[in-house]
Amino acid sequence: MLNKLLATVKKEALLLLRDKVGLAVLFVMPVALILVMTLIQDSAFKSINEKGIPIVFVNDDNDSLGYNIKQGLMQNDLCYLVDSIDGKPATAELAKKAVSEGNFLLGIVIPKGATTAIRKNVSALVDETMNGSDSLQQQQDSVEITILIDPVAKKSFLNAVTSNLREFISEVKTKIMFQSFSEQIADVIPDRQNAPTNSYKKSQIIHYKEIFASTASDKIIPNAVQHNVPAWTIFAMFFIAIPLSNSILKEKTEGSVFRLHTMPTPYLLLINGKIIVYVIVCLLQFLLMLAVGKFLLPQLGLPALVLGNSMAGILLLTLATGFAATGFGVAVGTLATTDHQAAIMGSLSILLLSALGGIWVPSYVMPQVMRTISSYSPLNWSLEGFYKLFLRGGTVNDILPDVLKLMAFFFVMMAIAHLANRKKRNV
Amino acid sequence: MSNTAIIEIENLTKTFKHAEEPAVNGISFSINRNEIFGLLGPNGAGKTTTISILCGLFAPSSGKIVIDSKNLYEELPLIKKIIGIVPQDIALYPTLSARENLAFYGSMYGLHGKNLKNRIEFWLEKLGLKDTGKRQVSTYSGGMKRRVNLIAGILHQPKILFLDEPTVGVDVQSRNVIIEHLKEINAAGTTIIYTSHHMEEAENFCTRVSIIDHGKLLTVGTPTELINNNTGAANLEALFLNLTNRKLRD
Repeated sequence: MLNKLLATVKKEALLLLRDKVGLAVLFVMPVALILVMTLIQDSAFKSINEKGIPIVFVNDDNDSLGYNIKQGLMQNDLCYLVDSIDGKPATAELAKKAVSEGNFLLGIVIPKGATTAIRKNVSALVDETMNGSDSLQQQQDSVEITILIDPVAKKSFLNAVTSNLREFISEVKTKIMFQSFSEQIADVIPDRQNAPTNSYKKSQIIHYKEIFASTASDKIIPNAVQHNVPAWTIFAMFFIAIPLSNSILKEKTEGSVFRLHTMPTPYLLLINGKIIVYVIVCLLQFLLMLAVGKFLLPQLGLPALVLGNSMAGILLLTLATGFAATGFGVAVGTLATTDHQAAIMGSLSILLLSALGGIWVPSYVMPQVMRTISSYSPLNWSLEGFYKLFLRGGTVNDILPDVLKLMAFFFVMMAIAHLANRKKRNV
Repeated sequence: MSNTAIIEIENLTKTFKHAEEPAVNGISFSINRNEIFGLLGPNGAGKTTTISILCGLFAPSSGKIVIDSKNLYEELPLIKKIIGIVPQDIALYPTLSARENLAFYGSMYGLHGKNLKNRIEFWLEKLGLKDTGKRQVSTYSGGMKRRVNLIAGILHQPKILFLDEPTVGVDVQSRNVIIEHLKEINAAGTTIIYTSHHMEEAENFCTRVSIIDHGKLLTVGTPTELINNNTGAANLEALFLNLTNRKLRD
């Protein structure tokens, strides 16, 4: 039986090696995908981080609030400020027009008298505290800072930027209020020499520290490489379903299967030969992608892929993904009746499973319903497993549930293929 | 059932799902050891269905088949070891060479090592393919493909060899080589069951023939017996046309 299995493996390997287009699909396509997607995403990050977003800034206040916001934003990596349009000083009207025409992604308008309004409110507050009058209610002026938004810009992206801006503006506003408040208090307290200095800075007792909650001993920074290499490798591994299903269908159309069914060799053994070869191909694909992530991407100015701590986990998960992908290919090849049908069925279902699985868009940004559906995609199980290994410093124990789900998927696919094959022969 | 029979068929019927009429309709005959038995009939007569059932490709709707004293569906794995098949279509991998194809199919019959290699070289030499055995089958002519297709079915020296139109679409030279070697194989002890549309070839090659049409067995006997018993038939082709009529078939 071993000789038969080895002969089948040799035959499959030879067939695959002589299928140049199939090999290109299996090895060149995923490398191209990883390079293109990672470079695009990385440059998108860089354009935000290094150069910043162009913002048109209109300072009608010309006082502390406007000045502080402008200074602060100019020192911020998030954006670069422009305060003139076509050589003219930017006004609220011009800024709105420029943003609506897509010349700027955002615009900020600080209204006239904003600082005065803040100071007035603080005075009223101090007055109310000291004298018990309710002048605050009578004199309260609101300060309305306008943020102009290009309607074409993506909402998720703008949300991130505008929330950062709001936080920053709010901090400046608070600082001015705090300073005004300190000055007013100092005025009414007789011993002015003991008035607190740098009181705002002293009040900053809450700080934020951002760390990535990974148990990895290596310092793993989530970036486009850490996300894209496993994602597109899984996608490519599942694309193995197309050449594999074609190989099964070719045997049918070329008549080999007729002869094979008359031979004293179980059909399952013949399929096992295919599975062995294609799982090995999956491992080779994975190694190639790791090599691309580790060695080629850094040459292109991208960060190198960090593998985490568990090589055993990586091997186990890759094998399980390979089995799931080949099982899927066997099922497609058995269910389809023509190679055209197999190509369409295979490629569309992989695209669908990958979209649902979070390959194109992370599943955590999907609506709840889609996230629930996503959790049934084998590509999602595999991706989650690789994230655990590559980003969270997970071990074999952490990925075991994902491995078990992938292997269960493989067995279900094989059972479907077996039943379909039996039904087709029961004519 | 006869002691000399290697294949015995009783009331074999096969009706495919959704088919209005049976493809094989209650046929019974036996094939003796060491015979070259011709299974003749027009297109759609039921020849390939009968051979497919005998090879265990699919089950009959009813009937009994005994091959080499074994019930086909009770001892199919054992029967598969003693049969060889040369299908009507070229059942080879086009991107593999003749040697690679034969090595694979030989292995599937349990041959391996030197024995397998020797048999491959023996047959390639015999059928004039030794020098081209390294070439991919896709580069072969129709006749060369037919010869490799034949070797793939006989490499394991089967007791029974099924030939489904083995000489269709090949030139006279290739056809002669194939027929001569089939006679040698038969002389060495292999029973041959053969289907063809070449009546002259069947008349010269077969020891006995059967003619089936619409899934029914019309006649069975030696070519000479059948021709002599049918007045007005000068040869097997004339007899064939008398029995199956001249109406065109799909």
